[in-house]
Amino acid sequence: MRDALHLMPGARCMMLRRGTMGYLHHQVLYKPSNLCIFWDMPNAITLENITRSFRNHFWQRSREVLKGISLDIQKGEVFGFLGPNGAGKTTTIKIITGLIRPDSGCATIFGLHPNSLAAKRRIGFLPESPYFYEHLTGYEFIKIHAMLSGSNDEEDDVMHLVERVGLADARDVQLRSYSRGMLQRIGIAQALVGSPDLLILDEPLTGLDPIGRKDIKDLILEEKDKGTTIFFSSHILPDAEAVCDRVGIIIEGQMREVGRLNDVLKRDIETDAITLEEWFVRHAKKLE
Amino acid sequence: MKNIRAIFENTFKESLRQRILVLLIVFTLLMIMVSVFLEPFALGETSKIMRDFGLAATSIFAILTTIIIGSALIHKDVEKRTLYTVLAKPVRRSEIVIGKFLGLGALVTILVLAMLLIHQIVLVIYEGRFDLYLLVAFPFTVLEVSVILGILLLFSSFSSVTLTSIMGAIFFVVGHAMPDLKLFADTTDVAALKHIAYGFYYTLPNLENFNYRTDLAYRIPLQTDGILFSVSYGVIYTILLIYLTTIIFETREFK
Repeated sequence: MRDALHLMPGARCMMLRRGTMGYLHHQVLYKPSNLCIFWDMPNAITLENITRSFRNHFWQRSREVLKGISLDIQKGEVFGFLGPNGAGKTTTIKIITGLIRPDSGCATIFGLHPNSLAAKRRIGFLPESPYFYEHLTGYEFIKIHAMLSGSNDEEDDVMHLVERVGLADARDVQLRSYSRGMLQRIGIAQALVGSPDLLILDEPLTGLDPIGRKDIKDLILEEKDKGTTIFFSSHILPDAEAVCDRVGIIIEGQMREVGRLNDVLKRDIETDAITLEEWFVRHAKKLE
Repeated sequence: MKNIRAIFENTFKESLRQRILVLLIVFTLLMIMVSVFLEPFALGETSKIMRDFGLAATSIFAILTTIIIGSALIHKDVEKRTLYTVLAKPVRRSEIVIGKFLGLGALVTILVLAMLLIHQIVLVIYEGRFDLYLLVAFPFTVLEVSVILGILLLFSSFSSVTLTSIMGAIFFVVGHAMPDLKLFADTTDVAALKHIAYGFYYTLPNLENFNYRTDLAYRIPLQTDGILFSVSYGVIYTILLIYLTTIIFETREFK
């Protein structure tokens, strides 16, 4: 690991070590005193200059959806990944969860390759507008995910999770009879199976009524208190504002802003009294 | 193993709760029972017709169930995005393929056995005795189902439900036409056609290797080497298909 480094004072960089399962990241801090401090504490999520293009048909030109996304999500923080429809939020999340590969760049979860089993043992994922196995009851659905997560105490874990998302009464009802809000709740329950260190939630508040939104926000804050890292995308900005430590704004495949919520809101404007929603509308218009 | 068990259980329940399954079961039961009423047309061969008809109905049921449910097995999960939460868990994609294969395979196996037992009951009602020799058809029907299911999984891993089910039906028809293809290859004088016909004959699945229905209906003793060849052929072909499916599925992206 102790490779020769040529860094500017104060620079941070990521080193890759070969020969280990996945990619092991080391953060290196170079100080003006020529003292290098090394520590092996990878971020929960690291994206380095990710690009990704798609083409709908082979005769069409490919469209670049992500144009060099770089992002560090630290352990234990709640990060809101915000942006308008078509900005590249879901594509980024699919790269983080290993469902698709980037054209270039590097994505890691706790320093591990997103598709490694070691990384997957540490994450819980709720996809956007989830569809689940309709023939299963809520209980059966969570039980299967508990088995896949390698849970040792399936029965207790499953019951606890079903109760935690407020679906104890509907545990024996087939998912085909669940409302949109109930599906979102059971989706979050399966993401929580195995007490993951990192929760990746794609639009978790979409389709929920105000009570459902509050319940899920409370649940996110509970997980945060336990030290779980939470990365969630949303376009419901007031809700994001209520739970996020930091936010990242993605527009047209590029990260436009990343920072603490208050810092982002105060940037480039004259007054402090502004909501994230107002900021977003003003800023998005300016950038476009 | 726990992962395969989870996928197996899910696939088994999913397949079992498909409404089309009830229709197929009713259709097959009717086919088995209707053979009793063929006596006026049987010209004294009622007993043999009942046996052949019952075995054929069971085989058709097994293949139809496999094609209808199996063609959507992977593709539907991808299309509906139900697979995303599974893929985000610490599961190998090969475990998903094997679990799905075993789940539907087990269901069809149980149903085929149930159909053969019902066939036996019909025989008891009509003739007053069982014909347990017919149950020898069971493992060969299961092997035929395994090969067809392997083909369906292979196509399902990269193409649509419609294309997969069409390919399943084509492979079933072509697989039973293999002796004719071999005859054509042996007798044709066109060198290019001969090579192509032999190429297809040796690569496509020969489902006639599992067809012992006529021998069983006419109580012709089966040869041990023939049985061993059929079993080895079915097992090896199925393993190869699952292996190919896994390779394709491992590299697949979910856009």
